[in-house]
Amino acid sequence: MKNLTILLISLFLGTMFAQEAIMGTEAQRAAGKVIYDAQCSQCHGYDGDAKSVGNDYLRPAPRAFTSGTFKFRTTESGELPTHEDLKASIRDGMPYTSMPAWPQFSDKELDNLAYYIKTFSEDFIDYGDVKPIDMPSAPSFSEASAERGRVVYEENQCLDCHGNLGRGDGPSAPTLVDKWDQPIRAADLTKRWTWRGGATREDIYQTFVTGLDGSPMPSYNIQPPEDQWALVDYVYSLGASDEADYATVLAATLVEGDFDISQGPAIFDNVPVAMFAVAGQVIEPGRAHYPGVNSINAQVIINETDIAIMLTWHDMTAETEGVNGPNMQVPDDDVLNEPIEALISDAVGVIFPSEPTVGAEKPYFMMGDKSNSVDLWFADLASSDCDLYVGKGTGSIVQAESDIRIASSFEDGKWTVLLQRSLASENGISFTPGTFTPIAFSVWDGWNKERGNKRGLTSWYNMYVPPLEQVSPVGPMMQYALLTLLAQLALVAYFRIKYRKKEEEVA
Amino acid sequence: MDLFGISFLGLNVVPIILVIAGLVALRMFFNLNTLAWMAAWWVGLYLMLSNGITVPLPGSIVGMFMGIITLALLVYLTTSGEDLEATKDFMVKFFTDSRYSPALLAFLVLLPSLVAYNVYTGMTQQPQAPVFGRTIHPPPPTDITFKGKKIDLVNDDNPYRILKETDPDAFAAHVANGRKVYYQNCVNCHGDDMGGNGMFAHAFDPIPASFKDPTTIAMLQESYLFWRIAKGAPGLPDESTPWSSAMPAWEKFLSEEDIWDVIIFLYEYTGYEPRAKEELH
Repeated sequence: MKNLTILLISLFLGTMFAQEAIMGTEAQRAAGKVIYDAQCSQCHGYDGDAKSVGNDYLRPAPRAFTSGTFKFRTTESGELPTHEDLKASIRDGMPYTSMPAWPQFSDKELDNLAYYIKTFSEDFIDYGDVKPIDMPSAPSFSEASAERGRVVYEENQCLDCHGNLGRGDGPSAPTLVDKWDQPIRAADLTKRWTWRGGATREDIYQTFVTGLDGSPMPSYNIQPPEDQWALVDYVYSLGASDEADYATVLAATLVEGDFDISQGPAIFDNVPVAMFAVAGQVIEPGRAHYPGVNSINAQVIINETDIAIMLTWHDMTAETEGVNGPNMQVPDDDVLNEPIEALISDAVGVIFPSEPTVGAEKPYFMMGDKSNSVDLWFADLASSDCDLYVGKGTGSIVQAESDIRIASSFEDGKWTVLLQRSLASENGISFTPGTFTPIAFSVWDGWNKERGNKRGLTSWYNMYVPPLEQVSPVGPMMQYALLTLLAQLALVAYFRIKYRKKEEEVA
Repeated sequence: MDLFGISFLGLNVVPIILVIAGLVALRMFFNLNTLAWMAAWWVGLYLMLSNGITVPLPGSIVGMFMGIITLALLVYLTTSGEDLEATKDFMVKFFTDSRYSPALLAFLVLLPSLVAYNVYTGMTQQPQAPVFGRTIHPPPPTDITFKGKKIDLVNDDNPYRILKETDPDAFAAHVANGRKVYYQNCVNCHGDDMGGNGMFAHAFDPIPASFKDPTTIAMLQESYLFWRIAKGAPGLPDESTPWSSAMPAWEKFLSEEDIWDVIIFLYEYTGYEPRAKEELH
């Protein structure tokens, strides 16, 4: 009898401690709730169900913890995350979403938050005792392994969603929805800095071995193990850097002889690329809370008569049918991205001040203002023209005569748009060699029904148009060196004449 | 860990310590004459100015400081007749004595080469984009018109703040509405925790304000915030570059009450108190 009592007590205590390891103490959960209600509930909801004041405005949508489904785990597919996984997701955040990193929380606060978050799903009590997968140490990157990885990438049909070159443009990509029937985009594997689950090779490994639960990204059991790291290396090789190298200056390159954009992108070979960050237009009514494009690349060449600009950006699908325009009407606040019938085409715009700027003063970067207008070079990619609009604010955008030529193409999830015009023109801004000109960009993703004010945009950056005559530095170099040498020789002569004489006199 | 990134009081600690250690070592282990000692000081101070300050000084400022330092060193040299004489003797020897011919030759070759190199880098460098200063908190107008209603920025105050004392429940409702307004409108740029790091923040210049920063809302009056929120970038004076700020004129989206509420929420969330109105005499 006594033995049985001890057995029962120890069983009870054992379960209690095991449970406490997963769920924390009541005091810990209570402390977590205080932080959660103040800092998390505005997006994830007071009850952890993501029913919140912010939800509609945030995409990807905040996680509903009540679902017990978590994307970023070190555990097997379908399992709950470990306590540390939850803490890591809070601490490191998810880049390019509205979930920021929270480095200001102490480890204890993260513990308490994680314990409290687990109370939203009963699964944690029943199945919360999870173990992380074995994480092998990563072999070092090799080109040969990356090459083998391409085969693994094809064999496992990664291109169906992520696309041939990993730009998130696979044939299935437009059909993807998550567990809650919300549209979801396949990751652009060339932009590591946007990955929610981290940008390291270990993160890539973890992502396809565990899968992203709730999303269409399954887990993959790739064998032999070398092939797992081959796939990691291939995916890693698709991106050039861990961090986005955003530019602020777009420097044009002076080229010799004629060029014509009909010759294709080859005329921009070896011309430096500047990447600019694109944000949603959230300044004027018709806001884009989650635009389809997050960066745009630009290159510029000039010769004595012409300027040509090449723009490239990644887009899941090319919308080359329908219509788009900077004046198209959008509901004042189309927060829920109401589906519309009309076909909207992809479009891109380059914005310059209509007149050369003096001092700091510029037109408003978005679409000009009453006192200073902008030129918008607007390319509706369903048409074969590049239009010119003069903007004096979003309510006053008037089409003007355009002499801008355009060539465009779409391949493997990338738009390439080439624009060409003479440096000086009666239709809009003339570019003065040797000067900086403010430049801004806008991108409309037709699949996202972006039109009019609803679009992705950049703020003002600087475009530098170099002088047409490249002065060789050799002449001035010789000149200054010679002058210095003469001054030195004069100094030597002075000392020698003056003090040698003295020495002679002394002698 | 990047040793050169360690910063204290706005100074890069490691380069400064290295320069000081270098100067001390020169003093202890070498018997330098005054001229060489001055050259060491000149180089040491140059390295400190160009590497020792966390926010890099523009080249022109470093040049100005070096000019002053050169003058100071010359003054130091000429205060002692002995030092001056010793320096002159050294220069005479350097320029006339055949013992120094190799050094003199090196001097005659290296200095013009350095000048030529300087000209080369100056001419081949990509020109720097123009930088314009901007006033962060410009003086507000005395009043604004908000949807046809005049709001006196000097005398008007947040009409709902008094509820904090008189009717805490009603005040809580205003905080709750302000929170809703914030997370539906402001969060994209100013961020979840008001650190100015929302998901679009990196794309804008000037970057969105961080309300956690003690130099923003903590030193401003609520009526000032009302003006900034209601009129946004287009309402800024020229010295604050209205053409580059992405701050919307929220009168297009929000009611007067929404704006006062979101202002209350900013202070409640961050724990700051708005700056009090000055007593006018």
